[in-house]
Amino acid sequence: MSRMKFLCDAERCIDCNACVTACKNENEVPWGINRRRVVTINDGKPGERSVSMACMHCTDPPCAAVCPVQCIYPTEDGVVLHNKDLCIGCGYCFYACPFGAPQYPQVGNFGTRGKMDKCTYCAGGGGTEEPGSAAEYAKYGSNRFAEGKLPLCAEMCSTKSLLAGDGDIIAQLYGERVRTRGYGSGAWGWETAYHEDTKP
Amino acid sequence: MIAKVSNGVWIGQEPDYDSPINRGSHCCKGAAVRDDVLSQRRLRYPVKLVDGQWTRISWQTAISEIGDKLLDIRERSGPDSVYWLGSAKFTNEAAYLNRKLAAFWGTNNSDHQARICHSTTVTGVANTWGYGAMTNSYNDIRNSKTILVMGGNPAEAHPVSLQHILEGKELNRANMIVVDPRMTRTAAHATEYVRVRPGTHIPTIYGMLWHIFQNGWEDSEFLAQRVHGVDEIREEAKKWPPKEVERVTGLPEAQVKHIAELFAKQKPATLIWAMGQTQFTTGTANVRASCLLLLATGNVGQPGAGANIFRGHTNVQGATDLGLDVTSLPLYYGLSDEAWRHWCRVWDVDYEWMTSRFPSKTLMETPGIPSTRWFDATLLPKDQIDQPSPVQAMFIMGHGVNTITRMPEAIRGIEKLELLVVCDPYPTAWSVLSKRKNGIYLLPTCTSFEMEGSRTASNRSLQWGEKIVDPVFESKNDYDIMYMLAVKFGFADLMFKNIKVETGSVSAEDILREINRGGWSTGYCGQSPERLKAHMKNQAKFDLVTMRAPKDDPEVGGDYYGLPWPCWGTPEFKHPGTPILYNTNLPVKEGGGTFRARFGVERIVKRKVLENGQEVEREDHDNLLAEGSYSAGSEIKDGYPEFTLGVLKKLGWDKDLTPHELQAILRVSPTRPDSVSWATDLSGGIQRVAIEHGCSPYGNAKARMMAWNLPDPIPVHREPIYTPRPDLVADYPTLPDAKQFRVPNIGFSVQRAVVDRGISMQFPLILSSGRLVEYEGGGEETRSNKWLAELKQHMFVEINTVDAAERGIKDGGWVWVTGPESGSRAKMKALVTERVGKGVAWMPYHFAGWFEGADLRAKYPSGSDPIVLGESVNALTTYGYDPATGMQEPKATLCQIKAA
Amino acid sequence: MFVLVRNSLVIFALLVLGVGEAPSLAQKLGTDGAPNPDASVVNQRTLLEQAPRIEGRIDIPDVKASVLIQPAGRTWDYFHEVLLHWGGAIMLLGTLAMLIVAYLVVGPLRISAGRSGQKIIRFIAFERFSHWLTATSFVVLALTGLNITFGKILLLPIVGPETFSEISQIAKYLHNFVSFAFMTGVALIAVIFFRHNLPQRVDLEWIRQGGGFIKSKHAPAGRFNPGEKMVYWLSVAAGLFISASGLVLLFPFYGTTIADMQIAHVVHAVIAMLFVALILAHIYIGTIGMEGAFEAMGTGKVDLNWAREHHDRWLAESLEDERHSAATPAE
Repeated sequence: MSRMKFLCDAERCIDCNACVTACKNENEVPWGINRRRVVTINDGKPGERSVSMACMHCTDPPCAAVCPVQCIYPTEDGVVLHNKDLCIGCGYCFYACPFGAPQYPQVGNFGTRGKMDKCTYCAGGGGTEEPGSAAEYAKYGSNRFAEGKLPLCAEMCSTKSLLAGDGDIIAQLYGERVRTRGYGSGAWGWETAYHEDTKP
Repeated sequence: MIAKVSNGVWIGQEPDYDSPINRGSHCCKGAAVRDDVLSQRRLRYPVKLVDGQWTRISWQTAISEIGDKLLDIRERSGPDSVYWLGSAKFTNEAAYLNRKLAAFWGTNNSDHQARICHSTTVTGVANTWGYGAMTNSYNDIRNSKTILVMGGNPAEAHPVSLQHILEGKELNRANMIVVDPRMTRTAAHATEYVRVRPGTHIPTIYGMLWHIFQNGWEDSEFLAQRVHGVDEIREEAKKWPPKEVERVTGLPEAQVKHIAELFAKQKPATLIWAMGQTQFTTGTANVRASCLLLLATGNVGQPGAGANIFRGHTNVQGATDLGLDVTSLPLYYGLSDEAWRHWCRVWDVDYEWMTSRFPSKTLMETPGIPSTRWFDATLLPKDQIDQPSPVQAMFIMGHGVNTITRMPEAIRGIEKLELLVVCDPYPTAWSVLSKRKNGIYLLPTCTSFEMEGSRTASNRSLQWGEKIVDPVFESKNDYDIMYMLAVKFGFADLMFKNIKVETGSVSAEDILREINRGGWSTGYCGQSPERLKAHMKNQAKFDLVTMRAPKDDPEVGGDYYGLPWPCWGTPEFKHPGTPILYNTNLPVKEGGGTFRARFGVERIVKRKVLENGQEVEREDHDNLLAEGSYSAGSEIKDGYPEFTLGVLKKLGWDKDLTPHELQAILRVSPTRPDSVSWATDLSGGIQRVAIEHGCSPYGNAKARMMAWNLPDPIPVHREPIYTPRPDLVADYPTLPDAKQFRVPNIGFSVQRAVVDRGISMQFPLILSSGRLVEYEGGGEETRSNKWLAELKQHMFVEINTVDAAERGIKDGGWVWVTGPESGSRAKMKALVTERVGKGVAWMPYHFAGWFEGADLRAKYPSGSDPIVLGESVNALTTYGYDPATGMQEPKATLCQIKAA
Repeated sequence: MFVLVRNSLVIFALLVLGVGEAPSLAQKLGTDGAPNPDASVVNQRTLLEQAPRIEGRIDIPDVKASVLIQPAGRTWDYFHEVLLHWGGAIMLLGTLAMLIVAYLVVGPLRISAGRSGQKIIRFIAFERFSHWLTATSFVVLALTGLNITFGKILLLPIVGPETFSEISQIAKYLHNFVSFAFMTGVALIAVIFFRHNLPQRVDLEWIRQGGGFIKSKHAPAGRFNPGEKMVYWLSVAAGLFISASGLVLLFPFYGTTIADMQIAHVVHAVIAMLFVALILAHIYIGTIGMEGAFEAMGTGKVDLNWAREHHDRWLAESLEDERHSAATPAE
């Protein structure tokens, strides 16, 4: 059975932020909510690398484990979805997430959190809405997955750095790249997300 | 990009995987274009400034009032008093129409962003080997073994190109060398990064050539067959031994030698550049130096090699080609009598009538004022400007004010104008910078997604864009606005004689057909709307690397994607386009070519030689035609001049012309038909016959290392006007003051004053500027895009950790930056980083809306203020103009920074 | 050769005037001799060995977004789902068990002399207000807090996800807002009972005599015996820590990092469990564990005999004060 994953090839990522705006565009994500972001390590120094990061849709997702209302769950395809109707905005998933994925709209003064929002792998929501319906779109964004499409961030990546799809296939793709070019700094976050290491 | 539209509203974007250029990929701007159309910050209706208030008016009123005023100015001060500033965001058709409008109005003051972008490339490269454009393509970089990026940051300025560069680098295990003052996002992926001082490109190249000639790494056969003037270059390179290179550039011998060796020996090698070479007073010489390196190592005219000159904006290549240029009519015909007559024939207007539009035939054939100098042409005393009257009205279509240097002067210029008209989807900084209370009109113009037309990519490929949605709010497209003006000016019938206009709506396809009928010189003649649309429909059929479709395809068989110019002959001739210029490995008919014979067949030089121990002067007749080199399948196995009817007759090939073609040639010049050339023959017959015989219509010549018609015939290092190294000015001064493009260029005096007054002590940091990936150009559109604006919310200056520590500046803290002219100062945030070396500060140039620390948000028409505002780097940049093109110098000036 | 290049670069950097520091990156080759742009890249595993988090630069104004990978999230998950659940359960159930044992073995402590019928004021209204403010808010906080920790195990299966979410949503707001009442209460208690909770010589005697646990005797004590003083000091300390960590959690990422938030949460949870255990004991002794004790906070008045048996010194002082004030009528 296929199991969906993300893989960012840091040898290709150029911090162009296409993934970020593609996500915003596809899912109408409001200002201040960043389902996907690009972080640059060793900025301006030798060894600088940029990595695009969002929800990695972990194996044993820690967010799901800590959620006090159990609104987060992995689907059969390994996509981690959540039900906004159940979310109480407690913030636990953010503490548990190794990748800083959960986002919260501010709903009151100070830091009062609204219902959590995060990357859905462009697979709609984990609630009761009809897949691909307007109600689902309004709450979670688009459901490309239902149309047999992959997340738009990866589809629009300028250098084909960000890969999405079946974990085995993208790991194989990455492995081939590393063998061809003779280098690669590893799939960032894979060990933490999937308990497996995709290294050169 | 594929758009999803529901009920006339653009609801989603899908990647276009079939596009051979981007394969569905975008940068953040491309991935966010939907909000360029949906943005609530768009200008909604025409407004004019009345006593400091923006007042809504109708289109009719706007065109009527503007037209009356323009005609009044024309009456009083002549047509040259109105400046037509066009845009790189135009479609090809709009760019062409804008140039045509200026011609019909009677002025050559018609320019666009290429002035501040690649004007120096066009001039420098065209003067070397014929055409001033990218020789190969993004896709072709996949074939390179060595990729040298000098003066470019494609990761941020041309992100999609990186998919070809990085993949090519990986597949070929290629060298990727980045020479740049900044450790950019591109440099992060380089196999070797070389930090260089801004403004020292020529010494770096000569430093490399010194090693190449010293070690015999040059391509002698290539030089002998296809290059003129290498001896002069050998002499010049001798002046740049490693010690001198290190003194001027700061680069150690071993490193220069290493990259020279890689470039010369690990071939094919390509040289990539953008604004990092062009935006200098030595811009033209810089790009010429790059050409020298390519020629010396034989890296031109083959896959994986070449000058991969990256152009920005959607269509700066097309707008350049189509003559939004003060020195030329469309497609590089120039401004000569012959050029005007050619276009008058294409336009079907009487040459005498056209002449009558101008104050004189001299002014008609004299280059106009570059966009970099419009405010000088407004502010300087009348007697210093070589036209009847200073500039009094600016008519701007899609050009920011903040991308041009010396903004404090520009603001004074705006205040002195009688009329300022800005046609743009957004109000732009033009509307808020000055203290004007009246006389500004803002006309809402739609984006290119709301109109159809073709665009030319950097690799010379044309792509047809469909209209996605109707223009939003009250906005109109460029064609229709120009048509309304032409109607007002009374020459619409003449100007649109062969272009269909239905109820005020202009046919873009007809404009392209007119371009096809006149675009022989650059091979814009074969790309009919029908062929371009067939290409868009069959994108999937083109190969990723060669960009060619299979020969047996019924619609696009054998074509290269987008019919990259030159696409010779008529559309019916079915030339496939030229993916790689000057490639002798292919027949011309299959996209091959030779260096263009543009500069005559021989050059007479007087040289001093030793004869019998005595120095005598000898007159040499240097052959400028290729020797022993020719394109595959050529029936002439040597160099040859450009084709005319006369040449065809000499070869006996004139018999191959059809009667119809011959008639057309005779119509062009009934009196001297033999002089009708491949570029002026409106039938395309001469091109067709030449190509049938395997020859390039434009001849087969040598590339010129020595370009005797340029201010610096061979590249000479000259320090920036505001140099951080006054000690070098004695050895490497800028060129003397002179009048260029109707205005004085006093760079030499300014540079001397900089040295005499110790400016580099008061302003010890080098200030350079460049692009961010999130924003484009002046940034009005992208800073109004909610998805992009969120990513970069503040104007900033990059400053090295050491410089910041010395000044007590913290990362993210506010600073004041001061510049050496006009008491300029700007407030922004500091980005403390090692991206820049010690002594260098860098700023993005996309910001506007703040000036001298003041936020001007309240001055925008209500609701149309961009989401993000900030200080403009060009509020700080300084004097300095390339003598050959009027290019500004924003890449190397001086500044001081202190914590705010 | 490449070493040489770099060395000369370093020397050059020292020589060259303010123009361009020189850390040009000489080409590095991979094991197969082809150029390797990765040679100077530190891989993630090494980075994670150097620091628990990988952080970088990001331009959006959200500081927490600059943390790229924090495997500590998984550790926090382990704490929260394993350690806290088991530890908390053991702590609370253990305490309850001990109290039940105490009740069964020791039973309620009776007033040995029986009720005298005479009352004396032990806590004035303001003191009782402070106590009950703290007490009620504590109960709300404890229940809502326990809900967010154990609710999904205990309550959710019973009421179903929708109802449980509604309850939890309300619980979250209650927890957030009632916390201010609790903090006020703790602060008041800390101040008004401060003097009487300072250690006294008599406390030693009380401890030596085994406090209140030896039924036959009544150890001497002032207004508060050392057992009560311990509850006071522990509550004040726990209140301080739980308030501080709670405030950090209430204002997420106001000058704090993800690590601070995780630590704050661990502190909050551990202290909360201990606090609940302590208060369970406190409630036991204040209600069914001791006859006559509840009245002190209930009505504010206690039976004279109860006072004599449990707080003899305080009773003596109180009676002395009363006589004194009676003898010198106000003018």
